[in-house]
Amino acid sequence: MTDFSEGCGQLCRELKAAWAIAKKDIRIYYLKPNIIVSGMLFPLFMFLAFAIGRDAPPTLLVPGLIAITILFSASSIEPVSIPIERRTKTFDRLLSAPISLHSVVLGESLSGFLYSAGIALVPLTAGMIIFQTPLVQPAALIAGILLTAFCFATMGTLFAAYPTESPGDIMSMLNLVRLPLIFVSGVFIPVNALPPIGQVIVMLSPLTFGNDLIRAAFEGSTHFNPLVDLVAIGGFILLFQLAANHLYRKFNE
Amino acid sequence: MHAIEAIAISKKFGDLLALSDVNFFVAEGETFGFLGPNGAGKTTTIRILTGITMPTAGTAMIFEKDIVKETIAARRQMGIVHETSNVYDDLSAWHNLMFAAELYNVPRSVRERRGKELLELFGLWERKDDRVRVFSKGMKRRLTLAMGLVNDPRLLFLDEPTSGLDVQSNLIIRDVIHDLTEQGVTVFLTTHNIEEANLICDRVAIINRGQIAAIDSPERLKKTIQSVQSVEVAFDPPSLDRLNRLRALPLVSEVRKEGDKFRLITEDPATVIEGVTAYAQEHQVRIISMTTIGPSLEDVFIKLTGLVPRVKGVKVID
Ligand SMILES: Nc1ncnc2c1ncn2[C@@H]1O[C@H](COP(=O)(O)OP(=O)(O)OP(=O)(O)O)[C@@H](O)[C@H]1O
Ligand SMILES: [Mg+2]
Repeated sequence: MTDFSEGCGQLCRELKAAWAIAKKDIRIYYLKPNIIVSGMLFPLFMFLAFAIGRDAPPTLLVPGLIAITILFSASSIEPVSIPIERRTKTFDRLLSAPISLHSVVLGESLSGFLYSAGIALVPLTAGMIIFQTPLVQPAALIAGILLTAFCFATMGTLFAAYPTESPGDIMSMLNLVRLPLIFVSGVFIPVNALPPIGQVIVMLSPLTFGNDLIRAAFEGSTHFNPLVDLVAIGGFILLFQLAANHLYRKFNE
Repeated sequence: MHAIEAIAISKKFGDLLALSDVNFFVAEGETFGFLGPNGAGKTTTIRILTGITMPTAGTAMIFEKDIVKETIAARRQMGIVHETSNVYDDLSAWHNLMFAAELYNVPRSVRERRGKELLELFGLWERKDDRVRVFSKGMKRRLTLAMGLVNDPRLLFLDEPTSGLDVQSNLIIRDVIHDLTEQGVTVFLTTHNIEEANLICDRVAIINRGQIAAIDSPERLKKTIQSVQSVEVAFDPPSLDRLNRLRALPLVSEVRKEGDKFRLITEDPATVIEGVTAYAQEHQVRIISMTTIGPSLEDVFIKLTGLVPRVKGVKVID
């Protein structure tokens, strides 16, 4: 028996294990065709269906496409991988490892996060080339992409807590939330153009704040204060992480 | 120090009482068998001892760490081989093993050396870069065992380690358990294979419908039913018709046909031997072999679990 705890405290062990969990998903899922379809093509079609013919300016369209792509791609891995892991019982490995559930949730979300942050470069590059939209605030873009991706990856992990062995169950619940989110987040219609009740509803969607930050990168100004955007997305991430941790524990009893 | 101490564990799934007031301990270095029929609660016990499932009541101490309250510290000392061979089909054998090691924070140099050793030990080294999807059932089982050992555990949980394995893999695993025991590793294994438990366990608990029916060493368990002895006899020519005649012999409480032999259960083997000899002479058949055997662990198991042996017309040992 060897004690492998030297030279690495519990926090460091937790983070390493979370990274190992993420790496495993990266190896397994990044090249799966259905993940690429749901992560890239689906948001593109959604976007084309709603944006074309609206005559919206590119500074609205490009951030919108990026935001929707992140929403769908970030939450496309865990809702598939976790039910499959339940079915094959590999999930028991994660549940019986010497790490906290928080690290399991974090590790699972990391793969969706990285996937999504990478995929977001596609609409970003395409948008900038096709529409010639100049980038005025790169910092807002980076923060917007990373935070939004992390937020929706954690949301995907949260939904995957529902104790089913079938990815379809989780995907349909998730779409019940993801599709309406597109319309209440100022993606196609700017927040300030919404009726007052709409302006209140948008506050419930993390996509509103992510989209706001990404738009700031192109338009130079935001509807909310960028700090508000950051704090709001951070708050959603924390909320999803805590809720996921709670549900995984609850459903495992 | 005890490796495991199960303290009044109960587990309910809805209305079903899967475990009821289970108490036992496993000493450090011991190989402890958990023997019981399907649905007895063996896997549920392992899931509670490893902190995957919460007990409804009671708790367990793993090397004096409470599995419910100090879950992570308790788990750091264990290796777990789950009931199903839960490997990642889309990863190679090597990546599966390395992932298992990383979950236990085994440093890179150690896990790579250990990984090679284990894959060689389980005869999988040549296939290390193959996706596990193409592995046979037995290969997956062996990989699962390797994954359970990659963190050099002080306490190893094995949930039916040899189910679905051929004789050769079985022997490898028995050897591995033997070596682990020599190194002082504590082993907790569940099985329905009575012979396996008899061969490798220091002590056995027999569990039935969520309750422990007995805990002792295999030999002492057998002693508790010393009244159940038997005479095993093979005739030439072999024939099934003998069953009723043999059953009619004095002091024979039960006859089972086992392969080409008959097993006559009795409290008095000497009288039964006389009876069988007389029967053979009378009917002009030859006795090829005749052996008296003491109670087997199987007999104990059958008696304690009240199972009816699935041979037609044979009554249960009371
Ligand atoms: N998650 C669960 N929900 C409901 N019932 C369960 C659950 N897990 C186990 N059970 C029930 O608890 C009882 C014990 O099951 P367990 O898996 O521990 O048996 P076992 O001894 O391992 O059997 P086997 O030899 O078939 O593996 C069974 O009646 C089973 O149906
Ligand atoms: Mg079982």
